[in-house]
Amino acid sequence: MIWKTAWKNVWRNKVRSLVVIASVTVGIFAGVFSIALMNGLIEQRISDALNDEISHIQITSKNFRLNNDPQLTIANSEGVLSVIKSVKGATDVSERTIITGMANTASKSAGVQIIGIDPDMEKRVFTLYSKLMPGTGDYFEKDSKLNLALIGQELAKDLNIIRYSVDSSTIVRVREKGLSEKLISKLAPITGKKFLNEKQFIKEMKSLFSKAEEMKYGLLIRKEAWSFREGARMTLTFLDKENNQVGSVFRLTALYDMANSMFEKSSVFVRNSDLKKLMGMNEKDFHQVVVKISNVDQTDEIADILALKLPDLEVTTWKKISPDLAMMTDMVSQFYLIFGIIILAALAFGIINTMLMVVLERTRELGMLTAIGMNKKKVFSMIMLESVFLSLIGAVIGMIVSNILIRITGNTGINLAQAAEGFEALGYSAIVYPKISAGFFGIVTILIIITGILSSIYPAMKALKLNPVEAIRAE
Amino acid sequence: MKIIEIKNVSKIYNESEVQVNAVNGVTLDFQEAEFAAIVGPSGSGKTTLLNLIGGLDNPTSGEIIIDGTNLAKLKSSELIDFRMRNIGFVFQAYNLIPVLTAKENVEFIMNLQSWSKKERDERTFELLKAVGLFERANSRPAKMSGGQQQRIAVARALASRPKFVLADEPTANLDSKSASTLLEIMEKLNHEEKITFIFSTHDARVVKMAHRVITLEDGKVVSDDVRE
Repeated sequence: MIWKTAWKNVWRNKVRSLVVIASVTVGIFAGVFSIALMNGLIEQRISDALNDEISHIQITSKNFRLNNDPQLTIANSEGVLSVIKSVKGATDVSERTIITGMANTASKSAGVQIIGIDPDMEKRVFTLYSKLMPGTGDYFEKDSKLNLALIGQELAKDLNIIRYSVDSSTIVRVREKGLSEKLISKLAPITGKKFLNEKQFIKEMKSLFSKAEEMKYGLLIRKEAWSFREGARMTLTFLDKENNQVGSVFRLTALYDMANSMFEKSSVFVRNSDLKKLMGMNEKDFHQVVVKISNVDQTDEIADILALKLPDLEVTTWKKISPDLAMMTDMVSQFYLIFGIIILAALAFGIINTMLMVVLERTRELGMLTAIGMNKKKVFSMIMLESVFLSLIGAVIGMIVSNILIRITGNTGINLAQAAEGFEALGYSAIVYPKISAGFFGIVTILIIITGILSSIYPAMKALKLNPVEAIRAE
Repeated sequence: MKIIEIKNVSKIYNESEVQVNAVNGVTLDFQEAEFAAIVGPSGSGKTTLLNLIGGLDNPTSGEIIIDGTNLAKLKSSELIDFRMRNIGFVFQAYNLIPVLTAKENVEFIMNLQSWSKKERDERTFELLKAVGLFERANSRPAKMSGGQQQRIAVARALASRPKFVLADEPTANLDSKSASTLLEIMEKLNHEEKITFIFSTHDARVVKMAHRVITLEDGKVVSDDVRE
């Protein structure tokens, strides 16, 4: 009866209850969706880092990570590989040769890390092969006698390898992508003109378009206006094993786009065989072995086993290699907590306010209920249930709406193209896929019920303090 | 059989440093199945006396003993439970729960007393028939007239078979016809259920039907007439 009465009381003042429910719905939706967005962003960043950049575990000679000394190689790599393969959970490995050097073109140069890889082994550990920019080439597939290099889009821009021009084919493509004729006509002054780098092109675009137009369509036009000459070359210079400066021309096999500007600007991939020849290294020596494992949660456990089995080498987990990522995973739970507290506090104040109004409006009725024998426990329960119902209805609707939206956007992604440069500079993808675990909704439901109960305490105490004689006389 | 004993009860209110003797040394007894009216001018202490008998207010001095239980000896929670089991209330402004139907209002106290559904249904329909509102069982108070609401309030007061019913000006907000119907119903239930009814009233019709009329003036009993 108390449940039924409380439920009916919720709908006594429909407009007010609906306003409260709507505000709870919006609050819960905003909270859950923001957390899903943040969660998706962070999980994606960690996934990108593990699958494209660092993998789960790296094995190097002692002090190699500290000094980057090319002489600190892993000898007997075959033995090391067989040890790794014997550890359960370590699924794949890739051997790498690593050296710091300079990348040069006729007009520009940049400091880079040159990573020698075996393309087939690398494919099993990293997804770099799937991140090539369309139309720029292939993943070391041609058996070229020339030295080959795979560089990032951002480095290609820095070295003036990517150039910009607007021609008739560019116009056709931007028209297909929805650019209006009015805006297309604004491109007329630069049609046929070639720009050596992105900066010059952006400067010219800014002079042709309004700020809003440039914000909205600038990225689209840049994406269609860039060009890359297949087979372009650059020179890589570095110190060999004997500390002699060596340099060689590398033909670009392709450009990659990893949505991480820093990584793209600094990482040049070449074939192990090409690099070792230039460095004068033994064919079986490597600087680094990267290990991919099947379950990321077992990273520390497997790293400990490897460290025991390979005492002369340094075994480093991704959390140590990239402490920012580790910190991020730890921060996520704290972020949830803070965000949750803010939303639940706002919800609690809304409920307290509403329930105080309810008690004030129903003074006479509450007095009557006490008079006819409804004890304090039942009066308290009735008020508490009303506030739990109010918050729970809003919360359930909020969670359903956010779940639907998370499922939809989790598949399609949310394109934050306008902030793409900022995101990519920090290593985040501009397309975010919100994600949340099913268990999270269970936790939210429990927290909402607790909040509803806590929020009802003060109004219920007010109700319990009513003197029935005075309350019955109240207008 | 004596069910209510009021022994030299006084109630003094201190309002703005002025003492008001709302009830002043009242001594009364009520027997089972009485149909009694407490009359007197406004401010004579009728409602205060009813509140004291009903355990809604505490006397400043004196004792109220109901069926052998001294109300002053009960803790607050025990007093609420005692009211639920022994006393029915009918208020001037009906005070039904607006979100519940007539049936749900009547069975509310039975629910508080954890009666079984079968027992509840039997008693509720019995009372709704008795007050002539069986067909309105599923109507909410807002859809009923004042007289009908007060009849539901009477049914609610009687639902758990209390020892007595206290009715504070039950006909004050009713038209003449509704008031007569209500009084006839109450008299019939008093007779059939052997439940004591005590009214405070100004209404001459109530006074006319009462078997006993107690007159209060300035908080004191000035007359106590029992009619045959």
